[in-house]
Amino acid sequence: MPGLVFTPKAGILLLLTGAGLLFYFDWEKKRIKEEKEKAKANATYGRPDVGGPFQMIDHDGKPFTEKNLLGSYSLVYFGFTNCPDICPDELDKMGEAVSAIEKALPESSPLRHVNPVFVSVDPARDSVEQVHRYVQDFHPRLIGLTGSYDTVKAMCRAYRVYFSSPPPQEGEASPGQDYLVDHSIYFYLMDPEGLFVQAYGKNNTAQEVTERVLQEITKWEKGERAEQRYTFRTQT
Amino acid sequence: MNWITSWFSSSKPSDSSGGIAPDRAKRKVCWDARDTYFACLDKNSVLKPGEEQNLCSKEEKRYEENCAKSWIEYFNKRRVLQEEQKDQLKMMENQANDARKRN
Repeated sequence: MPGLVFTPKAGILLLLTGAGLLFYFDWEKKRIKEEKEKAKANATYGRPDVGGPFQMIDHDGKPFTEKNLLGSYSLVYFGFTNCPDICPDELDKMGEAVSAIEKALPESSPLRHVNPVFVSVDPARDSVEQVHRYVQDFHPRLIGLTGSYDTVKAMCRAYRVYFSSPPPQEGEASPGQDYLVDHSIYFYLMDPEGLFVQAYGKNNTAQEVTERVLQEITKWEKGERAEQRYTFRTQT
Repeated sequence: MNWITSWFSSSKPSDSSGGIAPDRAKRKVCWDARDTYFACLDKNSVLKPGEEQNLCSKEEKRYEENCAKSWIEYFNKRRVLQEEQKDQLKMMENQANDARKRN
């Protein structure tokens, strides 16, 4: 069988092919890595810029920042304690969803506790005591946040929330006054790293919110988040 | 003008609670009073609150006693707005139907 005889020519050919393949694989690996990194960087642009640092006071009078929410998913609603009916309805819905999510996930799941958060857009009347009283009516883990006019305004700006409460120096908003605050009525889902995921409105039922949050938690637990960002960007 | 502002502020039901927002129970009492008053308006075919003359005075009194003035203004405005939206939707539907018939 003369075809199988090892000649120097064949040896050189084999070495060259091997080196070529090695070089090619290495190059391809680098290229894919670079592409992935580029996609990741782009993905952060594709995500709506909602959320970020804030400095508020919780319903026990303690300082509360965005860092207190990290490690869990959070549902964040902006409203005011003198709100006629939309705020309490939405907060009830949020509490219902938070309880349903907790029930649906096994006790071993580290993400089964979603933080329900109420942020006041009426700092002139919503003192810590007022917010403390208010949160008692809703989910037992509901966190109520308030602050000065400026800190509330800054948090609303970061979350792209509109509200009409006048600044206190304009004299209209003060405790004991009877007025309403016009404001955005979405609540936001933030992921365990404090990044915005999605928003829910009046038309979403508690069940819909529950299902969508559960989907997000499942994705996160599977580690599919980075992949999701990648495909999100390439589709656009 | 002082007498006007003082007269207005003394008529605000929320002032009697010292600026404390209503809790769940108080909200429910207010919503029930509102629903009873609106049901009375419906019964008398009155859309705009205040145009019923004295037909619902008992219900109106309970509504005013149990809801803050700002809430009453909001609920009353919403009642009229919602009715107008219903009318507009009906009109649009009718127009769409007419257009379909003509074609």
